[in-house]
Amino acid sequence: MTTIFGVPSAVLYGQLLLGLINGAFYAMLSLGLAVIFGMMNIVNFAHGAQYMMGAMGAWLLMNYLGIGYWWALILAPLIVGAISIVIEVLLLRRLYKLDHLYGMLLTFGLALMVQGAFSNWFGSSGQPYSIPQALMGGRNLGFMFLPNYRAWVIAASVVICLGTWYVIERTKLGAYLRAATENPMLVQAFGIRVPRMITLTYGAGVGLAALAGVLAAPVYQVSPLMGADLLIVVFAVVVIGGMGSIMGAIVTGFLVGVIEGLTKAFYPEASTTVVFAVMAVVLLIRPAGLFGSKLEAAQGQPQSSLSATAPSTLTQTLIFLALACCLAAAPLVVYPGFMMKAMIFALFACAFNLVAGYGRLVSFGHSMFLGSAGYVCGHAAKIWGLPPEFAILAGTATAAMLGFVTGWLAIRRSGIYFAMVTLAFAQMVYFVALQARFTGGEDGLQAVPRGMLFGLIDLSLPANLYGFVLVIFLGGFFLIMRLVGSPFGRVLKAISDHDARAQSLGFETARYKLVAFVLSAALAGLAGSTKAIVSQLASLTDVHWSMSGEVLLMTFLGGVGTLYGPLVGAFIVVAMQNYLAAFGQWVTVIHGLIFVLCVLAFRRGIVGELIEFWHRLHRTPPAKPAVLHNVAVAPQE
Amino acid sequence: MTDGAVYVLETRGLSRAFGGFFAVNGVNFRLARNSMHAVIGPNGAGKTTLFNLLTKFLPPSAGTILHDGEDVTRLSMPAMAKRSVVRSFQISAVFAGLTVRENIELALLREHGLAWNLLGRIARHRGVLERADALLERFGLSEYAGTMAGSLSYGRKRVLELATTLALEPSVLLLDEPMAGLGHEDIGRVTQLIREAGKGRTVLLVEHNMNVVAELADTITVMVRGEVLAQGSYAEVSSRADVMAAYTGQTHE
Repeated sequence: MTTIFGVPSAVLYGQLLLGLINGAFYAMLSLGLAVIFGMMNIVNFAHGAQYMMGAMGAWLLMNYLGIGYWWALILAPLIVGAISIVIEVLLLRRLYKLDHLYGMLLTFGLALMVQGAFSNWFGSSGQPYSIPQALMGGRNLGFMFLPNYRAWVIAASVVICLGTWYVIERTKLGAYLRAATENPMLVQAFGIRVPRMITLTYGAGVGLAALAGVLAAPVYQVSPLMGADLLIVVFAVVVIGGMGSIMGAIVTGFLVGVIEGLTKAFYPEASTTVVFAVMAVVLLIRPAGLFGSKLEAAQGQPQSSLSATAPSTLTQTLIFLALACCLAAAPLVVYPGFMMKAMIFALFACAFNLVAGYGRLVSFGHSMFLGSAGYVCGHAAKIWGLPPEFAILAGTATAAMLGFVTGWLAIRRSGIYFAMVTLAFAQMVYFVALQARFTGGEDGLQAVPRGMLFGLIDLSLPANLYGFVLVIFLGGFFLIMRLVGSPFGRVLKAISDHDARAQSLGFETARYKLVAFVLSAALAGLAGSTKAIVSQLASLTDVHWSMSGEVLLMTFLGGVGTLYGPLVGAFIVVAMQNYLAAFGQWVTVIHGLIFVLCVLAFRRGIVGELIEFWHRLHRTPPAKPAVLHNVAVAPQE
Repeated sequence: MTDGAVYVLETRGLSRAFGGFFAVNGVNFRLARNSMHAVIGPNGAGKTTLFNLLTKFLPPSAGTILHDGEDVTRLSMPAMAKRSVVRSFQISAVFAGLTVRENIELALLREHGLAWNLLGRIARHRGVLERADALLERFGLSEYAGTMAGSLSYGRKRVLELATTLALEPSVLLLDEPMAGLGHEDIGRVTQLIREAGKGRTVLLVEHNMNVVAELADTITVMVRGEVLAQGSYAEVSSRADVMAAYTGQTHE
């Protein structure tokens, strides 16, 4: 048997073929994302769910109506596209003038709802979907065996991609589309109905995802979560390629697939993380992406939720003391286990809010800090036998370092790109945690000892443990309170308002963002370390992307950019998990629904709306600008 | 005084291309110390691009920029601010989510060594508070001190931006169309403020309003199609036929 660099050639060709297949799906999905983003300025977080709906649609048509593959190839994209058109008209349309992040949050909520509902109905395990009769079998090419269906997928996806490229770049319809992307008002003035065009574009982009789903059904298992992880890789592809070009999306998609295939052949351990490593390198060398021209898209002004001047130092101190008393007395009436869990998540959410609320850097990857700190803390306490204070220190320091590295790379992009980059890095950390030996893989690190704090306080006693968590939470919260009220916090807020102006006043804005990000990561790590000691467990749940989603939910529900909002949000979400546990996957659907409602109805969150109400009651002048305007972003090369 | 120091800012062969189009093409420009210098020209002449190059908002495609005789072509915008070269923006740039007072205090933080203070409180630093009070008073903003900057009227935002910029006590003040979007009564007021601000420092402004330019500027540079067409006093420049032609849209060819 021939070998190439020590790898049997059959294995190499097999992996290359698999890489091409994966690449075909990356290309089709990132193409749809690029078209939708170009037209609507919305990062369609539901893209993975819609891909899944295509595959599930084919499976449902087959199993319930007896409709086969070839009809499903036409019907499923049409049905999913039609549903998405309804969503665009009813929901997305309201967001075009707002910050892109709201579109991302709304579609994220929709994705949670769809994936949760499908998991409930059909279970989260995979369903097989058989290859159509005509494409069974395969042929021997001499150097490898090529299954017919795989050849079909590659050929079909290339035709679909090039067809889309042709329509957009070479036809009159495509010219209108590109013109409307540049200047919708002007095109509208020419008598073209831009809103209808936007609606149809969204439908087409989603239909493309569903079509990819149908093609994927016989290759992969059909399951409700099949699109979730795929989407994160596609985001990395989008960051690598740059969102600006259609051909760029196609080429990058296939390229990344092939790189993955090659890695699987030569160094299988890195195959899940190589995409994210490539993304990191591209961010270093060419932040705008391989095919990207503009570094950032123009951004709408987000609604400032910090609408009022902060209360005086005295009021703040009084509220803080009242909070401390309430939390200290709470175990008398509330189950202490619940309180501790809620306080840990509240600290996590407050840490997240430090960058998301005050720095307006909305990270979709904060789970990596919570989770990695938990692992390191657990490992330090269990294997190295360190006392809890040092174990927690080790966990926190790890998170801070991880925050420094990822933040240093991620702050090269802002807005939605920042969100995608952080999400991708978090996924990389997740895969490392899944494969590394010291994390215990699927089982996690169990039976982490609580130990003696400072050699004196036995943390296995419930009262001691509660006091310990209380002190950590209050300490962390107090630190955040001071940071927000400090000159540094003022600069951070100013940067999020108008980065270029802050630079012109002499502030190196990138450094401020990085310091805020590292502080946030460290505090999230403190929460994660404490969680490992309290729950005596460090597991994959804490590094999974759904944890990043949860902290987003807590913060946005409570009120992003308000001091107490994340605290309130965390308590509500943790309570929901506790009391609604019996509903299983429906909790995910409820989470998704809350996201959608938050974005549509109360963007300031609970605490933000209360503050607003209070000020309206006292006739304080409205604090935020009524008119949306564009923020100047310093162009860079 | 050395030759380099006569000119506060100087460009040599400065160019900036967008795609294949040269918005600024080989411009040699000199800004004399303590002058009040205006750059004018028809729309698309490259005034704003030149301005953005001088203020480091854009990197140049070719050429060098000197400040006090030193090459600053590669420096960042914050680094220029630290060299006491501070710009304003065309679309009034205030921090909408901060109050008027907080906007002004922000500009004072660096000088008072508070820019990297992570845990303290501005309210404890009397020096900052007193200077902020004085600036609010001087610019007639005292009664709006607690108002969110985002909810100010357009004219007041302009005044606030000027106040914030001057809080840095810059030696070179670069103003990008300070009168853009202002009503008649605000123009007189802002002109007065700029005139006062110009005492003892160098001011460069890009401006469309010829009355303001005639009133304020001692030197005028006329740009057309990315190049410098003429430079001199208002009387010299306005008497030249080619300048008038450029403005009325006639060509010489």
